[in-house]
This record gives sequence, structure tokens and C-alpha cells, in this order.
Amino acid sequence: MPSITTINVAHLHLLLNHVPTVGTVAALGLLILGFIRRNEGLKLVGLETLFAVALLTLPAFMTGVAGFDKIRHLPGVSEPAIRLHQDVAIYGFTWLEFAGFIGWVALWQARRHGRAARGLVPVATALTAVALLVMAQAANLGGDIRHPEIGPGTLAATIQPADFLASKISNVMVNSPWAWPASETIHFLGLSLTFGVLLAINLRILGVMRGIAFNDVHRLLPWGMLGFGANLITGMLFFVGQPRQYLDSAPFYWKVVFLMIAGANFLYLTVFEKAWPDDNRPREWNASAADKTMAAVSLFSWLAILYAGRMLPFIGHAF
Amino acid sequence: MGLLNWLEALPLSVWVHESPSIWAQPTVLTLHTMGMGVLVGACWILDLRLLGIGRIPLSHFRWVYRAVAVALLVNVVTGVLLFMARASLWGTAFPFLIKILLVIASAATLLPLRSYVLAKDADQRAIDSRARMLAIASILAWTGAITAGRLLAYTVAG
Repeated sequence: MPSITTINVAHLHLLLNHVPTVGTVAALGLLILGFIRRNEGLKLVGLETLFAVALLTLPAFMTGVAGFDKIRHLPGVSEPAIRLHQDVAIYGFTWLEFAGFIGWVALWQARRHGRAARGLVPVATALTAVALLVMAQAANLGGDIRHPEIGPGTLAATIQPADFLASKISNVMVNSPWAWPASETIHFLGLSLTFGVLLAINLRILGVMRGIAFNDVHRLLPWGMLGFGANLITGMLFFVGQPRQYLDSAPFYWKVVFLMIAGANFLYLTVFEKAWPDDNRPREWNASAADKTMAAVSLFSWLAILYAGRMLPFIGHAF
Repeated sequence: MGLLNWLEALPLSVWVHESPSIWAQPTVLTLHTMGMGVLVGACWILDLRLLGIGRIPLSHFRWVYRAVAVALLVNVVTGVLLFMARASLWGTAFPFLIKILLVIASAATLLPLRSYVLAKDADQRAIDSRARMLAIASILAWTGAITAGRLLAYTVAG
């Protein structure tokens, strides 16, 4: 049976790799324009773009690793160049996720208090600029993989295979007796926390807890983000530690797809306006049919993420 | 040991343990994980409120008890199936005993907390230090239960 990996993921990476580069330029541009024009709305759009870019950078990274095995042995392709590109991409990913996290806090505060805490948006903007610099470097090194003629491409060849960051992470994750079990434990604690928070918020939208202002469940979102962040970090450790066992497993791709849906829902829950009416009667807010559908889709997505994650050893490849 | 071996030899136990079907071990284990997410997530939301996160009146947390009841039922059923599948292993493993005790302790904190949430005058009742201690105990006990449970894959079944 052809698996989803027979879709050319290397090609998909060539599409998605524009997100952390071009997308970050767009987010940074909107933020800088917001500062120049002193336009708070523009800054918020910039932060929302940043969040979306940070989210989509996850599949951009994963398709890149999937493409690695497909092209490493092709003539004219330099394996050390791929590894160096991957290492810089890990740094870029980390900066971008950090920027996205600070940006999200600013969005959450802006929805609650009208504006973010002083200094938070400039910090998010500065982090985005750093992320863009690192990502640009990663993109540049990515170009060297297939087009060594336009770059020096010699640096990568001087690095020992075991000295690459990804190799070091993998070494710790696979050989340490506690790294993998500890990360799994944190991953399960994180999923419970995130699930609990999104259960409460989406149930409010679906009409349970009617009589509660949306404001009060919105208060819980940072706890959901805490679990989300813990699972992003531990999940990346698993993925970089043992990429093949995920990339060869069909449910992993479904997990990433549902993660994108759940992430989009998380952003919507953070910023959407309808539940924050000005008429001082927010307790009686009744969600529209579209919002209720969104809430149901969100809960379904989280269950699907859980299902795909827990089924990883059973559907596809065991580990 | 005799009883554990008998349990393990039941057709249902053998099916869960040995069947290549997706509905056997994989689905039972996945349902157990989903139940965990709902159960612990819902408990933690209540615990956070008792510790002062947010201002939602406690009477609005009745759904937590309904969610917990459903999730607990799912996890007791799936947990029993998983236990039966390898009864002689789990029944004699000290880490498994610790996990079960932590689960019971965690779930037990919900009982005294009922009077704060389900009472008719729940919103008039003050959240006293007893409720806060129970909330802290619940958070810690569930953290311990998940940790002990997850590590069973490495300590006992590894």
C-alpha cells in the first residue's frame, strides 16, 4: 500500500520553506510599519501573522527532514550541506517559536486589556528580526545543497558528522536512560493541561457554562499555551531524536495536520472579538453556529492529535 | 499468582494482548490516553480555579464532575482490560502499585471538593484553605499518577 510518504515530501518542503522566510518578512514588515505609523491594529495583524508563521514552520521543518533521506544520495547533493542547513534551521525554528510565543502573549493581553504590556511588542519584533536573520542563513545554506556553484558550500564539509546539533540532540535522546522517558512524561502532562483548558473554553462556546463571560474562560488560555509549549519542545526532541520512526508513520502526518487546525483555533480563541461585546452583558453571549462548529472541530482535532500520537507505534512503524 | 495467571489466560485478556487487530491493545491504550486527557485536564481546570485563577463561580464547574465521571468510567474499563492482558506482570510490579495508589489518591480529592462545586449554595461558599490544599493535592497527585503511569513503559514493560 502506498503510504503518504510517497507523496514527494522533498517537493513539499520547497513549497513550505517559504513560510519561515517570506512569511517572517511579512510579519516583521507589518510590525515595523505598525511602529512607524503608530498603528496598534497593524501591530496586532503583524503578531497574528507571526503566530501563523511560527505554526506553519513546524511542517516546513518536518518536510525538510523527510526530504533529507530522499535526496542525500543523489549525485551533486552534498550531505554535510544538508546537515548544516538543518542545524541552522533548528536554531531559526527555536528563535521563531520564541518570537511567536512572546507575540502570542501580547495578543492575549491586547484582547483582554486593550493593549499589550509595555515593551512586549518591541521584544516580539526584535525576536522576529533575529529569527529572520537565522532563517535567511538557513535558506542560504539550503540553496547550497543543490546549487553549490552559487555559494561557498565548503564550511559544511569540514564538520564531523557527530558534531552537528541534530546529531548531538539525537545522541542524548537515544542514549540517555532518562531523556526519552522524561520527555514522554512531560509530553503527557502537557497534553492533559492543554486538553483541559481547551475543553473548558470550547465547552463555554458550545453553551456549557452559559452565564460565564467569555472573558473568564479566556483567562485560562496561557495555561493551555504552557502545555502547548511543553509539548512543542518535547515533541521536537522526539522528532529530531528519531525522525525516521515518525516520518515513516502515516499517523504522524495526520497529527501534524490536526495540530495546524488546533493551532489556528488557538489563535482564533485568543483574538476573536464577538465574545467581547461593549454592551456590558457579556455573560449572556451566545456563540454563533459557525463558532460552535469551530469549537466542536477544535475538540475533535485535539482528540485526533491524541489518537494519531498514541497510535504512532501501532499504525505504521512500531518503536 | 494463580489468580493473576487465570486472569491473563481469559480469552478477552489474550485477545487484548495478542490480537493484531487495531481494536485490541492499540485502541484500548489510546482510549485510556484520551480518558486521561479529559480526566486530568478537567480536574486541573477546577484545581486552578480553586487556587485563584479566574473568577468563574464554582457552580459553573458542574460539568467537570460529569466529564470526570465519563472519563473515569472509560479509564477504569480500559485500565482493567490492559491489566488483564498482562496480569501476572502488572500484578507483581511495585511501580504499578504506586501508579494505582496515586490514581486513587488523585480521584479521592474530588470527593471532598464536591461540596464546594455541587452544593446549592456553591457560589456563596468561600474557598477556604482546605479547598486550596485539596486543589494542590489534586494537582500533585495527578502529576505523580501520570509520571508513574508513563514510566511503567520503561520500568516494568520496557
